[in-house]
Amino acid sequence: MHASSVISQRRSFSCTLLMAAAFALALPLSQAAQKTALHLDGTAAKPFQRAPGKPVVLVFVRTDCPISNRYAPLIQRISSQYANKVAFWLVYLGKTASADKIRQHQSEYGYRVPALRDPQHVLVAEAQVLVTPEAAVFDAHHRLVYHGRIDNSYEDVGRSRPAATTHELDEAIQAVLSGKTPPPNSPGVGCFIADLE
Amino acid sequence: MTSSSRTVVACLLGMGSAVAVAFANKSGLSEPPPAPAVPQVTFNRDIAPILFHSCAICHHPGEAGPFALLTYADAKARARQIAAVTAKRFMPPWLPEQQELKFADELRLSEDQIALIQKWVDEGASEGAPGDLPPAPHFVPGWQLGQPDKIIEAEKPYTLPASGSDMYWNFIFRTPVARTRWLNAIEIRPGDKRVVHHANILVDRGQSARRQEKVPGAGFPGMELKIASETFDPDSHFLFWKPGTVPRAEPEGMSLRLDQDTDLVLNIHLQPSGKPEKIQPSLGLYFTNQPATLFPLLLQMENDRQLDIPAGEKHFVVTDDFTLPLDVELLAIYPHAHYLGRDLQALATLPDGSKKRLIHIPQWDLNWQAVYRYAAPVPLPKGTTISMRYVYDNSSENPANPNDPPQRVVGGNRSSDEMAHLWLQVLPRTPTEAAFDPRMLLQEAMARHNVEKNPDDFEAHYNLAAMLLARGVQAEAVQQFAQAVRLRPQDATANNALGASLLAAGRFADAIPYLSAALKAQPDNFDAQYNLANALVSQDRFVDAIEHYRVAVRLRPDDANAEANLGSALAEIGKLAEAKLHFQRALRIDPNHKLARENLEQISHDSKNPQE
Repeated sequence: MHASSVISQRRSFSCTLLMAAAFALALPLSQAAQKTALHLDGTAAKPFQRAPGKPVVLVFVRTDCPISNRYAPLIQRISSQYANKVAFWLVYLGKTASADKIRQHQSEYGYRVPALRDPQHVLVAEAQVLVTPEAAVFDAHHRLVYHGRIDNSYEDVGRSRPAATTHELDEAIQAVLSGKTPPPNSPGVGCFIADLE
Repeated sequence: MTSSSRTVVACLLGMGSAVAVAFANKSGLSEPPPAPAVPQVTFNRDIAPILFHSCAICHHPGEAGPFALLTYADAKARARQIAAVTAKRFMPPWLPEQQELKFADELRLSEDQIALIQKWVDEGASEGAPGDLPPAPHFVPGWQLGQPDKIIEAEKPYTLPASGSDMYWNFIFRTPVARTRWLNAIEIRPGDKRVVHHANILVDRGQSARRQEKVPGAGFPGMELKIASETFDPDSHFLFWKPGTVPRAEPEGMSLRLDQDTDLVLNIHLQPSGKPEKIQPSLGLYFTNQPATLFPLLLQMENDRQLDIPAGEKHFVVTDDFTLPLDVELLAIYPHAHYLGRDLQALATLPDGSKKRLIHIPQWDLNWQAVYRYAAPVPLPKGTTISMRYVYDNSSENPANPNDPPQRVVGGNRSSDEMAHLWLQVLPRTPTEAAFDPRMLLQEAMARHNVEKNPDDFEAHYNLAAMLLARGVQAEAVQQFAQAVRLRPQDATANNALGASLLAAGRFADAIPYLSAALKAQPDNFDAQYNLANALVSQDRFVDAIEHYRVAVRLRPDDANAEANLGSALAEIGKLAEAKLHFQRALRIDPNHKLARENLEQISHDSKNPQE
């Protein structure tokens, strides 16, 4: 009995290893199911699961998009303003944006917002964003209520206002916090995310 | 027979491809066209030549473009962006419309090139055959004209805040020359090129901009700059930098004079990047031994006083028309408005009635303002009328409008004010034996034009008078200075100039009240002290004159004339010992001073032979 039990344990151990290997091999075949955004330490990021019952705000940026960079002080300001009321994430796009590059970018631009990477565009798809910078605001039930520009500083690439006259991201956050109607989705101006595919 | 049948085949092939194109266009209306098995447009063959020629100049590492466009990977990662910004003609930035008179270094893409980029992206942005790729452009790192003879760096850096509206900063460079030198180029290195939109050097021979610095060497803010000059020394060169500028040596004979104690003021337009940026520009000076033999001039047309744009006005027109008093060659043009400018154009109407469009910018954008140099000098004969016509949009439909909601906007130097300026670099074409400087004739005509345009323009009257005086037209000079004084009765410079012009006309007694008024306004005005003293001497008021000469020599201890005249006035009232001292001082300053020498000899002679 003793001997047999030991053998069986060994078997189950080796079996686990085999399964793991099979899982790794299967990954490319069922990528859709396994796609995930990542924390900077490389672990899978689940921004919605981490914030049950709380609105979630995702702002999509690139390290090398001049328009999203110009928005850095405003993004930081809005995220600080609503720090305790919403889960605010900066989502970096671009395959060449390594974790180190993102950390350096965050420090240069004075970001204190937690950052994610979305190399497979999982969050891009959920947020329905097309350019950087664009924001997506999800209500407490994690339904997408607004996606698009942060404000109307830019009417087009190269056509900017001295100061924005509409403030969509701020309004959308206030809307999910107070139950009011969010602003209509307005496309952002910046760098096309599709170029990164 | 054989050759004829070949022709038929070729015809059929041609028709076949025409049909295919038509089919693709038609099917594109309902559903996406089937991707061609082999893409027709490839990066290596079709797109790289466009990017290398028209984009890479800014889009390479270290330059103003926010990313490089040198490789297939670079372009692929921005493919849709490239298609979008070229289709809108936002890139490459080139504001003037196509016209008969060509500019040097035009950055305009053709419609075909834009369509090709579009097609490339639609077909999947393929790379193509390696053999098709042209050699990548070669860029010189560092100073573009080689190591400068002298590099001057801004004394203190300026830190641009992370956010906020556009910033205009002025750096003052003290010139590092101990004597007059000639330059055949200045290269501007504006600092971080990604945040600098343009930069412009103004030559400040009187060091007048320094007065605006709160901390010496730190520079000062301000979009527009006025440089005061006491002598006729008109600006002659555009010293301008914008992204992609390749510095060039001045044409043969057009070197730039740089004197000791001249300041170069660099006016920089900056756009915040999202993080604080430290800006510390430097200038590279390239000397030449060739003094200038050709003297171009920057003519400034303007009509800022017409600028009073009601809130919401979408189509406000400002014009100015100037007729050339002599033959010139137009070398370059620089239209300038602020954020409300929309459609800027300039036209030349020649004496024979024919018209030449000099420039037309249908969608003005201050961010991409530039000096446009003509590919070849444009001859404009005497009698040509240059007309500027600018249209302004002060409605909320203009996204650049600094006011929300729109406000009434008038002319002024702040970025929220408006401007209507057109600068022209012209080279007067006059016989070299001309007795006068042709630039003066141009400036005189411009000043007269400005006086007619606006009879209350103090500077126009003053400048016209100065030109007239230089040409020896004294009576009218006196009239124009008098107009200037009428407009600014407290102005020391104008009062002194009127007094001096009266002295020159022999009207000594008339000069005294104006010279006194100049001194009342500005007691340390050397010229007024000296001129008033001279006027008093002419009235035999030696004691009063001596007082003013004494102040004058205190203000300017190295002026031999003031010392000699003080000596003369002292001698007149018998103070010979003191007079002798001042004649000696005058001779120490200028050993060849004739009056001082003669008077000194006279005193020595008199003292040897007293009471003849």
